[in-house]
Amino acid sequence: MAAPPLRLLTAVPLCDGHDSAISTINLELARHGIEVVYLGYHQSVAAIVRAAIQEDVNAVGLSSYNGGHIVFFKEVVGQLKAAGSGDIPVFGGGGGTITPADARVMQRNGVDRIFFAGTPLDRIMAEIKTRYARPAKPDRKFKGDRALARAITLAECRVGSPNPATAGGTLRPDAKKSRPKAATTAGKTFVIGVAGPGGAGKSTLIDELTSRFLQKIPRGRIGLLANDPSHPGTGGAILGDRVSAIYAQDDRVFFRSLATRGSLTGLSAAAPAAIEILRSSGEFDLIFVESVGVGQESDPFGVFHGRKLVDAVLYVLPPHYGGRIQLQKIALLNGADLVVLNKCDDPRAHAAKAEIQTRLDQNQRGQHLHATTAAKHSDLGVDRLFAVIAKLGGLDPARGGEKACQMEVSP
Amino acid sequence: MSSLGRIADAVAAYNQFVTAEIARARTDAKFAAELRARWAKIRKSVEWTQSPTGTKLPRLALPDTAEPGAIADFLLGQGLPGEFPYATAAYREMYLDRDQGAGEEPMRLFAGLGLAEDTNARFKYLSRNQKSLRLSTAFDGPTLYGLDSDHEGVLGKVGEGGVAIDTVEDMLRLFADFDLTRPDASVSMTMNAPAPVILAMFLAATKRRFGPGCLQQLRGTIQADILKEVQAQNEVIFPVDASLRFLGDMIEWCVPNLPKWYPVSVSGYHIAEAGATPVQQAAFTLANGFTYVELLRQRGVDVNRFGPRLSFFLDCGLDVEYLVLGRVCRRLWSIGMRDVFGADAKAQLLKLHTQTSGRSLIAAEFQNNLTRTAVELMLAYLNYTNSCHSNSADEPFTTPTEKYALLASHAQSILLEESGLFKHMMNLFGGAPGLLALERQVEQGILDVFREMDTLGGVIPAMEQRYQRSKIQEAGHAYEQQIYSGRRPVIGLNRYVTDEPLPHVPLARTAPRKQRLQVERLKAFKKKHAKKAPTALQRLENVTRSSGNVFGELLDAVEVCSLGQITACLTGVVGKFRPMV
Ligand code: B12
Ligand SMILES: Nc1nc2c(ncn2[C@@H]2O[C@H](COP(=O)(O)OP(=O)(O)OP(=O)(O)O)[C@@H](O)[C@H]2O)c(=O)[nH]1
Ligand SMILES: [Mg+2]
Repeated sequence: MAAPPLRLLTAVPLCDGHDSAISTINLELARHGIEVVYLGYHQSVAAIVRAAIQEDVNAVGLSSYNGGHIVFFKEVVGQLKAAGSGDIPVFGGGGGTITPADARVMQRNGVDRIFFAGTPLDRIMAEIKTRYARPAKPDRKFKGDRALARAITLAECRVGSPNPATAGGTLRPDAKKSRPKAATTAGKTFVIGVAGPGGAGKSTLIDELTSRFLQKIPRGRIGLLANDPSHPGTGGAILGDRVSAIYAQDDRVFFRSLATRGSLTGLSAAAPAAIEILRSSGEFDLIFVESVGVGQESDPFGVFHGRKLVDAVLYVLPPHYGGRIQLQKIALLNGADLVVLNKCDDPRAHAAKAEIQTRLDQNQRGQHLHATTAAKHSDLGVDRLFAVIAKLGGLDPARGGEKACQMEVSP
Repeated sequence: MSSLGRIADAVAAYNQFVTAEIARARTDAKFAAELRARWAKIRKSVEWTQSPTGTKLPRLALPDTAEPGAIADFLLGQGLPGEFPYATAAYREMYLDRDQGAGEEPMRLFAGLGLAEDTNARFKYLSRNQKSLRLSTAFDGPTLYGLDSDHEGVLGKVGEGGVAIDTVEDMLRLFADFDLTRPDASVSMTMNAPAPVILAMFLAATKRRFGPGCLQQLRGTIQADILKEVQAQNEVIFPVDASLRFLGDMIEWCVPNLPKWYPVSVSGYHIAEAGATPVQQAAFTLANGFTYVELLRQRGVDVNRFGPRLSFFLDCGLDVEYLVLGRVCRRLWSIGMRDVFGADAKAQLLKLHTQTSGRSLIAAEFQNNLTRTAVELMLAYLNYTNSCHSNSADEPFTTPTEKYALLASHAQSILLEESGLFKHMMNLFGGAPGLLALERQVEQGILDVFREMDTLGGVIPAMEQRYQRSKIQEAGHAYEQQIYSGRRPVIGLNRYVTDEPLPHVPLARTAPRKQRLQVERLKAFKKKHAKKAPTALQRLENVTRSSGNVFGELLDAVEVCSLGQITACLTGVVGKFRPMV
């Protein structure tokens, strides 16, 4: 097995929607076996720095066209440094808008490399691979999210290596702390595995639930682990879940994208370790683990194998699942603790609701179907689902309560 | 079936109709006689003119035939200029006699930099080199995203790539000294997500200067095309349904109150620049246009009232398809509007603004960009665009500097005023074999995309499935791969390369001192209105929560609130757009 893939974060700065160049660069990077965590366009310095740290990337690539690049890149470099992650190099491009004279200033400001207009794509790829490939090692200097993130990176390296027992560093920078402390932390962190067919709205629903967490629980943190497939041929991946996770842009959210790297279970092979790392940190009240879109027989969270990875499984269905027969075949409908019918704005949802409830009643486990429209702003169904989750997970109401629920409307 | 399937069917049916009519013209003596008589009358009505060198020319070139089938083919398949299906041109004479000041001047130069007064100065500079008053505004990034200049982290972008507008006071400075009520004046604004707010500011400013009666006279366009923002340009603030509601509210208000205004410009430019092929550009754009028609019909607005207030905006690059893209789009639009939506003649007409391709302009040997733009301009005019922006040669580096903006402006004047090409005679090439072959292929390509989107449920469901975005990204990736593998020749980049380093090009950037000045002005405005703003925002919030017309309320709110305050208020009610990869 080769070295673990390079991980990069790419993004376009605030007030800039020029994403054509970065889309091409992302596709090329993935084609070259690189894992790209893409944050999207119109991204603030804070969002970029937070993502770089939580994703523990080898480097950050920015594509800037709408001017102000000297200031913006400088801020990114500065804030990374201030957060103790000055080891993450920042590079980028912006066609002809970044002149050679600008690039010299930017390099003096700590920017690693600017790719000018007309640089052949192959040259960009070759250079990125040589400049930024460096194996992840445990580093005691890392604190906070970067320490958690590095521990996850090391877990990813270990599971992908021929000899998991000896390869890579330790689970956490501090080996003792790294041992899962099930007894002391049990009941504190509630971990929910989210599964369902591709496109059912898992990511959207998780993001909406994140917003409810942030509104209703004024302290404490939420962890999100998003599993996405690696390209089977190249080993690269475009991990784009952060783009749509608009509520994850908050320091109370720890978001980590995990590429499956050949694991066919619906989760990265490092997902169990990642869950344990977050759990044992003791920082999180709630964790959502999103699996890759799953088929009828899949069981990413080990419900039927007696070693359930998570505290509860949430299964999301869209109204267009096929028919009664298809419904019968979805194994996880038997094992799920929470079943959600999403996209209830779809006209087919009404009939689907009754059909799914009937299917659940057969299980005789008292499963209740939750109906949501995650794509709708402040959907009541999502509110209700969050209330159920909060109760199930024992999310401490004393930590917050209703005050935080009132939204700030006007400035 | 979404309306796209019905439109594709209607076009196929119309083409069959044309074929059948051609056959009938050749077999039915009575029909043939009618056609010949009509043809003779048309020919007789054509006036003659003379070139400066003394050559006599017809003002309209017609196919040189008396054969009824060929006559039917031209009249029904292409149409006389200004007649259904409008392939030839939107109007009968377009650019004829441009140097004598006849007709509408097409040139509209997109401009915006620094603070309002800097852009005002640029407008003055440009309009000195033009016959009529054409002010086309580019806004800076913060304004495009509905943020105030004092928003955290945006300072470096204030006044870059466009003008910074925070308040109605900036809007007053922007158009100071221009008489916007002149019959030849027209104002365009490239503004999308916050379009209703910016248009409200513009109206508040113009009413202050010219009185409330000016609304009848104001001519212009605001882009406000949110569908292509989701698909390509990425300036979306509110969720799609809320964005469409705000747009609908604005259009509904404009139709009776601003009779000469185009409240939406259905734009393919950004789709193409983001990477789409010419066929994809046309297909996505027309489909977006038809979607707006459906949405307005659902709101109960008569197609014949808003149909004439829609305008279109296409890119024109160097690919061969651009020779016919405008022609094909006019044809498809008119058939769809007439045969699917029952629109009358005025509402069938696709009025077109064209911009030469920015993406075709490159940094290496950048003066070649003058030639590229000239070729593209020629293609745009051969499509008889109603309005046109020509890019500056320094496009890859900077907001155009005066020197290159002027050269770009003169390029249009040289084509229309100096050269004889477009001055004496309409329909230079219509009906030429190459043109016909291209038209057929491009039209087919567009209809294929329509059918594909139809199977996905139409434009909006396709959009939710990332259809347009993924097509555009694939095409954009393929385009760059073609360049860097040498399969797509780009002179000075992958062919005939000189090893000269990137040249030192003068840049138009906004000094930090000006950026700070903008922030100070905004702070002063907010302070001045600190008492009234909260009430105005509360009213705006209430209307937004109810189902009232938000635009009506914005007209008041902009008097005392900044763009950023209004955006925050609206987002508080409707939420934020969740972007897609
Ligand atoms: C395409 C384009 C658009 C498209 C963007 C579509 C999209 N979704 O991306 C559209 C039409 C929508 C658009 C809109 C606007 N644009 Co524009 N646009 C361009 C254009 C023509 C090309 C940029 C491009 O994508 N090139 C293709 C890429 C692949 O090639 P490249 O730029 O040479 O980049 C190379 C390297 O630098 C490298 N690279 C680039 N980024 C990165 C990142 C990393 C990590 C790496 C490794 C490498 C790398 O990759 C390339 C290959 O070598 C440029 C002008 C030009 N000719 O360059 C203007 C330009 C960037 N736009 C400009 C402006 C002002 C705007 C607007 C603000 C206009 C307005 N006021 O409304 C809007 C803003 C849109 C928004 N939401 O932010 C200005 C910026 C001016 C400035 N900074 O001073 C430019 C320079 C044009 C001009 N002269 O006015 N635009
Ligand atoms: N109409 C409607 N669309 C929704 C709803 N929830 C999500 N969507 C849309 O469905 C699409 C897929 O949503 P995601 O959240 O990415 O779905 P997912 O299950 O995470 O998808 P994968 O991770 O790719 O398997 C997106 O276009 C969402 O906007 C909903 O309640 N109603
Ligand atoms: Mg997902």
